[in-house]
Amino acid sequence: MFRIFALPNRTMAFALSWLLFAGGIVFYLRTSHARHVDNPDDRILPTVQQLAGGFWHAATTPADDDADVAENAPAAQRFLNSMLWKDTKASGQRFLLSLVLMLPAVILGLHMGALPWIGSFFTRSILFFDKIVALSVLPILFIAFGIGQTAKIMLIVIGVAPTIILDTFNLTKSVPAEQVIKGFTLGAKDLAVTYRVMLPQIWPRILNSIRLNLKAIALFLFAGEMIASTDGLAYRIALLQRHMGMDLIVPYVLWVALLLFLVDAALRMFIRWMNPWFRET
Amino acid sequence: MRSLISLRDITVRYPLKGGGTHTVFSGLNLTIDEGEFICVVGQTGCGKSTLLRLILGSEQPSSGEVRMDGRQIQEPNRERGYVPQKCSLFPDKTVLENVAFGPIIESFRLHRLVSPAWWKTRKNIRDESSEYLRRVGLSPKDGSKYPDQLSGGMQQRVSIAQSLIMQPRILLMDEAFSALDPATRAEMQRLTRSIWQDTNTTFLFVTHNLAEAVFLGSRVILIAKENAADHSRIACDLQIPDRIRRADGYPRQDELDRVIYKLECAAVDKRPDDVLVLK
Repeated sequence: MFRIFALPNRTMAFALSWLLFAGGIVFYLRTSHARHVDNPDDRILPTVQQLAGGFWHAATTPADDDADVAENAPAAQRFLNSMLWKDTKASGQRFLLSLVLMLPAVILGLHMGALPWIGSFFTRSILFFDKIVALSVLPILFIAFGIGQTAKIMLIVIGVAPTIILDTFNLTKSVPAEQVIKGFTLGAKDLAVTYRVMLPQIWPRILNSIRLNLKAIALFLFAGEMIASTDGLAYRIALLQRHMGMDLIVPYVLWVALLLFLVDAALRMFIRWMNPWFRET
Repeated sequence: MRSLISLRDITVRYPLKGGGTHTVFSGLNLTIDEGEFICVVGQTGCGKSTLLRLILGSEQPSSGEVRMDGRQIQEPNRERGYVPQKCSLFPDKTVLENVAFGPIIESFRLHRLVSPAWWKTRKNIRDESSEYLRRVGLSPKDGSKYPDQLSGGMQQRVSIAQSLIMQPRILLMDEAFSALDPATRAEMQRLTRSIWQDTNTTFLFVTHNLAEAVFLGSRVILIAKENAADHSRIACDLQIPDRIRRADGYPRQDELDRVIYKLECAAVDKRPDDVLVLK
């Protein structure tokens, strides 16, 4: 069974992939049930009903500081005014803005890899910059940019951009010399070789690298939101932690995981759709 | 014949890791005439590919000059086509896009994007690329495939078409058929020779295989390491006359054996004629 050449069939592989999930859920349910039998007011492990109630509350009730919505308002309107949606929108905007800011990082990495002079100029500094623990500069960011949006986005950029730059640099370097030479023999100049020979073939790998860094982006986003924010998913979790609101924290954590999972899946599909020749995703 | 490329007093040295240098060539001289099919043979590490890279312009000599039509070669350009052994195609482009890459790059100007004439040019380029695919023995339906969906032989056909469409003055092929099976290799050799005869493009073909060199080349250059020195030299420069070929282009077996023997003797630094007498 546990041999290198022992391959599970498709059904078995599918079942195995769900086994840990199912085990985790069963374990939670049993533990939660046991704790509630001992103490019906237990707040550490809420029951399924409490979790569902918490999620429903978050998805239909406005945040404390927002105006109430009529009880009989349509579900969509109630959701769009809910604290869950408000927090998701606030975090999502920061997240997307950070993703967009990865583009200059990609372009810098590409030029560093393609043009040796640019590479020599930047590599050492970026390597050093990459070793700075982003969270340690958080106070500096708050002092320099205030506690608004900019500081949080800068934190994400400082935390993730050097990795993306270095990854793009390495990917560009890995383009076979034969193809670069071939590009020149087909009439392309430096810029055309960089953007029409190198970039298209490393593009899916760059997207893959960004995809693998989604969690790092979320981590820095959450750190910024937890420390100084008035909205956002992490802000809400930090707020609920003060009241031991596990019936809301757990649905929020699962919601964040689900969103990241969906972004990851969407990116994977996008990479495959955009690059039918690419078979590594 | 008019001289196309000349290498004058070429020295190539590489620094060694532990200090010192390794000399590949010292005072190498070579002239390539227009329309020749030159095959360069020699042992691994003797400098065949270095010679090709010098002519290509992707490597500069430590001293000496490499000139094409009297102008110094600075970097690779469209005048010198290139077919390497592997990684010869852009993996993100279809076969047709690979072949059309050069002409599209040439015709591309940002301001032309809005002009209908440019889109017409694009259409013409696609038609021309299909024609080149057909010329190297591929069908139009192969045009929509990606390089990794092709066999090694088909990939090299595309690579040749990709280079030929630019009408280079010289086509440089670096062990282009080494990774192919014998049958495909023979087919590619016939194709390459017929392209040479039809287009009159100058070819420089680097190979390990002496029989392949004698079949393809109108001239075979053997590079070998000097016994006393660590650098290589041209040990033999043979013209292969058409009179030794059969109607199908292959050299007659006895002539092939004789030429190969001559090359082998030159490689071990013997005097070929003496050895032939002994034989």
